[in-house]
Amino acid sequence: MNEFMIAFITGLTTGGLSCLAVQGGLLASSLASQVERDFAATASQPAKKGKAAARPRPSGAALPIVLFLAAKLLAYTLLGFLLGWAGSFLTFDPVTRAALLFLIGIFMLGNGLRILNVHPIFRYFAIEPPKFITRAIRRTAKGTDTATPLFLGALTVFIPCGVTQAMMAAALATGSPLAAAGLMFAFTLGASPVFFAVAYFTFSLGKRLEGLFMRFVAIVVLALGFVTIDSGLNLIGSPLSVANLTRSLFPEPAAQPAPQVSADGSAELTLRAEDYGYKPASLSAPSNVPITLNVVTEETYSCARDFVIPAIKFYTLLPTTGVVPVEIPPQKPGTVMRFTCSMGMFTGQITFE
Amino acid sequence: MKKTYAIANMECPNCAMILESIEDDLAGIREISASYHKSQLTVDFDESRVSEAQVLAAIEKKGYQVEGN
Repeated sequence: MNEFMIAFITGLTTGGLSCLAVQGGLLASSLASQVERDFAATASQPAKKGKAAARPRPSGAALPIVLFLAAKLLAYTLLGFLLGWAGSFLTFDPVTRAALLFLIGIFMLGNGLRILNVHPIFRYFAIEPPKFITRAIRRTAKGTDTATPLFLGALTVFIPCGVTQAMMAAALATGSPLAAAGLMFAFTLGASPVFFAVAYFTFSLGKRLEGLFMRFVAIVVLALGFVTIDSGLNLIGSPLSVANLTRSLFPEPAAQPAPQVSADGSAELTLRAEDYGYKPASLSAPSNVPITLNVVTEETYSCARDFVIPAIKFYTLLPTTGVVPVEIPPQKPGTVMRFTCSMGMFTGQITFE
Repeated sequence: MKKTYAIANMECPNCAMILESIEDDLAGIREISASYHKSQLTVDFDESRVSEAQVLAAIEKKGYQVEGN
């Protein structure tokens, strides 16, 4: 699946509500002020400011929520761009990228355990925004003009929820400003409908429902953490990743027999890098002879283009369409050489016979 | 008077922000600082202008429980 699609679905399923739990107070404050102003003439008492207090009339609430979400979308896309730009300095080689994935994975696992309240120590996995920022946000939330929801929406970048922080980490790992901006855009866009719907109708999830929901969020973050660490394992060619373990425990026969050694004492193999992975994922090759692995792309746009063979420290960005020959030095019989995309998502291996 | 309270149900870093907004609702708060990491709230208040009971009530009004209270 396309990584942007994954980000969008993550936003749609967990981002909206978990971010609302964190950022809803801001929106509520802003709306409360708005409604207080709009209905000042009829209201006998001023609307209360606070998370659960504001229940404005839906007709008056839609526009500020839309403004809030639009500003939020723009701010997070920009943030993604900056994260990707920062990440581009860290991702020169697959090993650095793998190290980053391990750190991010641990960060996600820590946050998952934090949300589940396993132990107070995991609270340190959450980033507390500096006081001067939270104070400024609070002060702004009291404004009553239409620019307030816009400004507050943009300020939410300083108070990201757990799932957003995880997504920010993933954006950093892309190492590309555009890919990271796209990732954050897709995630924030995905989070918007639920955020809107819940904010529109009510500001308070029932306590019990909120607890249940946060548990669900925690499990998703834990799963994302495991997937990220697994990607890191793939990226260093570790036999312990899920894909590589599965291949060793349930070996599938190579799609085609090992190619013949030619007269000049070498052999050629062909591997197709497609949008959804490498075909065939298991290759056989003769041992003790140099191998040329021809990696073929044909209208390939996914991260399968970022081709990595950790064992020989080979790393290249394949063209969208074309053939790239990779020279592999002679290997001993029984050697298993793993290859992967730079995100550690798509994998495969060559077995030397 | 400076008091530190252990808060039972701080669930995310932004609870700190919500708790600190008490200073907007009560007069006489000199300094207020909440920490999600430590799950506590430190309030320095002027007793001649606000009582501890009022501070505690404000915390509860925000939806938080002070441990041992």
